[in-house]
Amino acid sequence: MRSRTALSLATITVVVLTGCGRSDDGAGGEEQSEEIGAGKASGTIEVWAMGTEGEVLGDFVAGFEEENPDADVEVTAIPWEAAHDKIANAITAGETPDVSLIGTTWMGEFAEAGGLMPTPEGLVDEADFFPGAWESTEVGGTSYGVPWYVETRVLYYRTDLAAKAGWDEAPQTWDELRQFAEDLQTKGGAEHGLSLQPGQTGSWQTMLPFAWSNGASLTNDEGTEYTIDSPEMTEALDHYTSYFADEVSQTRVLDPGELESGFADGVFGSFISGPWHTGLVEDAGVGADQYAVAPLPGPDGAPGTSFVGGGDLAVFEDSDNADSAWKLVQWLSEPETQQAFYDEVGDLPAVQAAWETGELAEDPQLQVFGAQLEEAQSPPAVPTWEQVAAAIDALVEQAAKGTTDPEDAVKQMQSEAASIGTGL
Amino acid sequence: MAAVSTTPTGTGRPVRPRRSRHVDPTRRSQAIAAWVLALPFVVLFLVFTAGPVLASLGMSFTDLRSTDVRDPFAVEVVGLGNYADLVQDPLFLKVTRNTLLYLLLGVPLTMAVALAAAVGLNRVTRLRGFFRVGFYLPVVTSIVAVSVVWKFLLRERGGLLTTAAGWVGLDVPGLLDSTTWALPTLVVMAVWRNFGTLMVVFLAGLQTVPREQLEAAEVDGASAWSRFRHITLPTLRPTLLFGAVITGIGYLQFFEEAFVMTKGGPLDSTRSVTFFTYDQFGFGNYGYAAAASYLLFLAIVLLTFVQFRVLREKD
Repeated sequence: MRSRTALSLATITVVVLTGCGRSDDGAGGEEQSEEIGAGKASGTIEVWAMGTEGEVLGDFVAGFEEENPDADVEVTAIPWEAAHDKIANAITAGETPDVSLIGTTWMGEFAEAGGLMPTPEGLVDEADFFPGAWESTEVGGTSYGVPWYVETRVLYYRTDLAAKAGWDEAPQTWDELRQFAEDLQTKGGAEHGLSLQPGQTGSWQTMLPFAWSNGASLTNDEGTEYTIDSPEMTEALDHYTSYFADEVSQTRVLDPGELESGFADGVFGSFISGPWHTGLVEDAGVGADQYAVAPLPGPDGAPGTSFVGGGDLAVFEDSDNADSAWKLVQWLSEPETQQAFYDEVGDLPAVQAAWETGELAEDPQLQVFGAQLEEAQSPPAVPTWEQVAAAIDALVEQAAKGTTDPEDAVKQMQSEAASIGTGL
Repeated sequence: MAAVSTTPTGTGRPVRPRRSRHVDPTRRSQAIAAWVLALPFVVLFLVFTAGPVLASLGMSFTDLRSTDVRDPFAVEVVGLGNYADLVQDPLFLKVTRNTLLYLLLGVPLTMAVALAAAVGLNRVTRLRGFFRVGFYLPVVTSIVAVSVVWKFLLRERGGLLTTAAGWVGLDVPGLLDSTTWALPTLVVMAVWRNFGTLMVVFLAGLQTVPREQLEAAEVDGASAWSRFRHITLPTLRPTLLFGAVITGIGYLQFFEEAFVMTKGGPLDSTRSVTFFTYDQFGFGNYGYAAAASYLLFLAIVLLTFVQFRVLREKD
């Protein structure tokens, strides 16, 4: 009796499922939305934002509400850890807010799921933003949001150790970087000259800048096919792994906090990371005059290309107040607003004009980030990116540990990425 | 029904007893009451357990991805395609080998340690409560907190183990950074964390070992080992079976320790099937992940079946 019930349930499932079939209506090739209407925003605009942004935004939008007296912005702060699932569930149920902060690597997935509305024509000017940041909003050639804030990776190094090693400025080429790291180790007294991530989650964010700097591209221009297997990529991975082979970099994954304390103790002479590390290393006891940041060097003296991450603002397809929601997004991307938001939270503005005055224009450390942002790329905004990134991470680890040589590792990255597909 | 009453009256058809022709109103109202009382559970079970289980089974035959969530029926049915892909996926084969290693190392070790602790505690009369609490304590602690502490003990730079080994002149590298030692190290930690539960179960089982038999055997000159081997162990057989089944299921689902301590590395050497499934769900490959979890489910059923065959009561 029980087995018969199971059997009939299975039959029903099969019958239901055979009625299925994928229709090809995902992202890509979609037109930008029509221009939003003139006039002021009105009604309630529901916004979701994560982290510090979520906590601060509620008070910050008072300026927008002043300009648009009929509009009422309701900000809900949600934790980053829960954000991805919460947004995915909201899109599934069709119960979304009007606007949300979206992590740049999620854009592909949510746009392909049909949750995000294409950016309206003429809402903002693409040229106002850092090009790498704008790329993160484009899924299959259509833009689905506007960059809000950005972060990028630069070289951090101990100036005192570098001086001891005979370097009074940062390296400009890969050869110099290599020499710099070795000197920090042999003459500067560091245990490891340059700390790079030897594989595991997120190592692509450190490895790919070397590839981009060398002219490698992960996909073709249309973003439809992976082109990871290239001589440029192999050369970059070869250079990257050479740091591990000679113990210039440590070969194990560091525990949380180990990098900062090691940098303070002179164990690590330099490392590559984002703007949050200025605070972290100073908290760990590195004096502001003991370290400096520098743009990533390219292979032959041209500036290197870094990774750009951050957050985009997107309006949902199910928003019932889309026009006003886009007006809020537009307001948040005005240079003055971006600058005010930097003063409030410390997020680096995605709009280039915001960097022209004030602290952002004067502080030499910030200027390094600003310059690097002009030479920075984001990974392909495709729904399968996280999986491709995990495959790249695994192969970076194999190459770093020497179990696969860089050429084979790059070939394998290509074949795995090709079998995963873009998901568009 | 047929068992209720049959009469040999030649027609070959069971004759229903009279009282069941019209239902006793008391019994009927009892039945209604029973259903009403059972209803909340039945509804919750159907909606939150049976429904999702069947849905995930159906999902494992499709190529459902996270981008299909708005239109979950608009996916292709791939039949057993996901399962066929899984058994050819090199990473899945690797995590399967890892999981079998967890099982083969973990279950015997956990049971042996738990049994030894239980037998020892059974003889101790003073401070028994103290030791029982001590051994059981790791079970009730938070896995994340425990893993973090172990990670610090085992790390290469300044870890207690490496430092202590250095005092006696041994060069122990960071065990969790070694592709050879990371998995056995996680097993040892899991044994330490889990044996307390089994120890309590075995301790209870030991109370059922007939004291008279043990004393009689002792009078007859049987050694302590042969008393344990021929009296204690056979009496404990059902308890051991229970222990083997629950520990086996636990090790097949090995996840948290690896998740917190090694993130599956180095070089995927500690990634388990559950970890693989978790990753696939994270990547949004819902169909593929569902198929992987059903393969694990099959493995658990199979293992439990084998254990019942091997350890069942012999008539």
